[in-house]
Amino acid sequence: MSKIAEVTSDPYAYVAGLKERKNKKIIGCFPMHVPEEIVHAADLIPVVIWRGNEPVTWGHAHVPPYDCGITRSFVDDAVRGKLSFMDGFVFHIRQCLQAGEFPFIMERHFKPAYQKVLYLPAIYPGDAVRDFALKELESFKTSLEDFTGEKISDDSLKKSIEIYNKNRSLMERVYEIRRAKPGILKAKEVMQIVWSSMLMPKEDHNELLTELVKGMEEKSVKAQKERIKVIPVGCLCQTLQFDILDLIEDLGMIVPDDDLYIGSRYFANPVNLNGNPLNALADRYLTKTPLCPTKGVWDIHWGDEAIKKMRDNDAKGIISVRVKYCPPHTCYYPDFRSKMAEKGVPEVMIEMEHEIISLEGVKTRLQSFAETIGGV
Amino acid sequence: MAVVVGVDVGSLCTKTVILDGDGKILSYDIMRSGHYYKGAAKESIENALKSAGLKKGDISYTLGTGYGRGAVAEADAEVTEITCHARGAARLFPEVHTVIDIGGQDSKVIGIGENSRVVNFVMNDKCAAGTGRFLEVMALALSVDISEMGDLFFASKEKVDVSSMCTVFAESEVISLFARGHKKADIAAGIAHAIARRIMGMVGQVGLREKVVMSGGVAKNAGVVRAIEERIETSLLVPYEPQIVGAFGAAIIASERMSTTIG
Ligand code: SF4
Repeated sequence: MSKIAEVTSDPYAYVAGLKERKNKKIIGCFPMHVPEEIVHAADLIPVVIWRGNEPVTWGHAHVPPYDCGITRSFVDDAVRGKLSFMDGFVFHIRQCLQAGEFPFIMERHFKPAYQKVLYLPAIYPGDAVRDFALKELESFKTSLEDFTGEKISDDSLKKSIEIYNKNRSLMERVYEIRRAKPGILKAKEVMQIVWSSMLMPKEDHNELLTELVKGMEEKSVKAQKERIKVIPVGCLCQTLQFDILDLIEDLGMIVPDDDLYIGSRYFANPVNLNGNPLNALADRYLTKTPLCPTKGVWDIHWGDEAIKKMRDNDAKGIISVRVKYCPPHTCYYPDFRSKMAEKGVPEVMIEMEHEIISLEGVKTRLQSFAETIGGV
Repeated sequence: MAVVVGVDVGSLCTKTVILDGDGKILSYDIMRSGHYYKGAAKESIENALKSAGLKKGDISYTLGTGYGRGAVAEADAEVTEITCHARGAARLFPEVHTVIDIGGQDSKVIGIGENSRVVNFVMNDKCAAGTGRFLEVMALALSVDISEMGDLFFASKEKVDVSSMCTVFAESEVISLFARGHKKADIAAGIAHAIARRIMGMVGQVGLREKVVMSGGVAKNAGVVRAIEERIETSLLVPYEPQIVGAFGAAIIASERMSTTIG
């Protein structure tokens, strides 16, 4: 865990060092849907862009204060030169309106050596959507080939997918062990593990995870019967403040599983490697679950998915974590909440801001929730 | 006699309730919290003990609640004000299903289910809009004592809209309404309706289920109570002393914990 904590405590220094150590170019992939495998297969290092931990300064000259945390933090980092170690960026701009702002800002103020704008489709029924997604991935691949001057063969793409799938299965194993031994890792540590996977080369991360899994398998933990199991849901694109995760545990709750982006959503769904690898990546993107409010899926309800996860884990309630000024989640949330009310599932929503204004207010909400489901 | 104490340290006022072994209120105290919550809690407990003719040593269990619940050095445990308001309101009015609490600097709407337990809640603690502090600032802008605000509501003859709920902007809006020749009573009524509009939004999130209790210091303003009643189209149950409902709830939970310990 110490290596993982080191990577996530200063991702800027880690990724800058990585570039030197590996002597490879770094491509920042904006969360949540960029297929990193294609970047990996181009012999570049894909790194998922993160929300920094500093207040936004110059960035507010380019994006308004009512944009979400990662949007403002990323633009701020970029225009302040904090991301100068990145050689290129990939943005899936149909994910939300805010992501659509990046290419222009980056082109004008950062001038990256490589930039790709992805237009992955919303998931409507029919073959057209699949063709659309596939064409986009083909053009993504071609743009990387143009950038490096090297062709990406099917074999190298398949190899990259295998490495990524291995990472997914190791991460799934970490979650399985946590489900079986709640409390074996703190919620914050689990988030650090997933986040480090987004920052480290997957080969290195796989090595770390293999060791970690072994240690977890051997370790026994005291049963945490008195603790109330809860499932955090949401927090698109970015890390949840660790203080909030600690608070959940300090208040007598425990997280056996989650439905967070920097959590189980990141590694869900291995790529099915039968046949053409680009087709397989398109199919993974077009998988409707875990449901993401940025994909426009309406025949499956996120609330039902969350409730299932809660019941599978024998948990007592759901903590919705909504990133402030995240339109996709905000638009979905009323439906989600109605579903909770309809099914009688205890749920509380906490809003996560880049600049925490009052942890006290979050504490009162979480403590009241713990009291409610704990029968006080 | 198992005497228990509930202390509700709010951002504006600290309230203490002392109960005897039968759950009867022996005394209560309300004082300003000031800037030193620990001291306020201590002083409020001492005041309440004095009025009940009791000593510190008579207390069997103390439970802290409210924004400053962590600062009650005398407390054996702490529980949030949401749970305490629900419990207090349900003891006073067993048929309650919704509590509207407007305190000094925050407001909440709480849904209550079986056994007086909280089923859902929303709280606005982001700004002082529509809270006791807001009313204080508005009273100042109207040059009236806060206790007169309620009566002014009923003297209103003309409808005046106060659109802003931000304490700062509403203050300047009130001044400009004066400049346009509107009467104090009409502006006071406009302020009460603005608070009611805001509360209605929160009630909508929790879902209105009768009976509805209103607690917190703002419930002492009959104008705001009436304005909310008009919006939610039902009458509100207001306790004799709405400000101590949270402390009362804390004391009830304290006595439940005592009986579990003794039992
Ligand atoms: S958090 Fe929401 S608004 Fe922000 S980039 Fe992600 S999807 Fe878009």
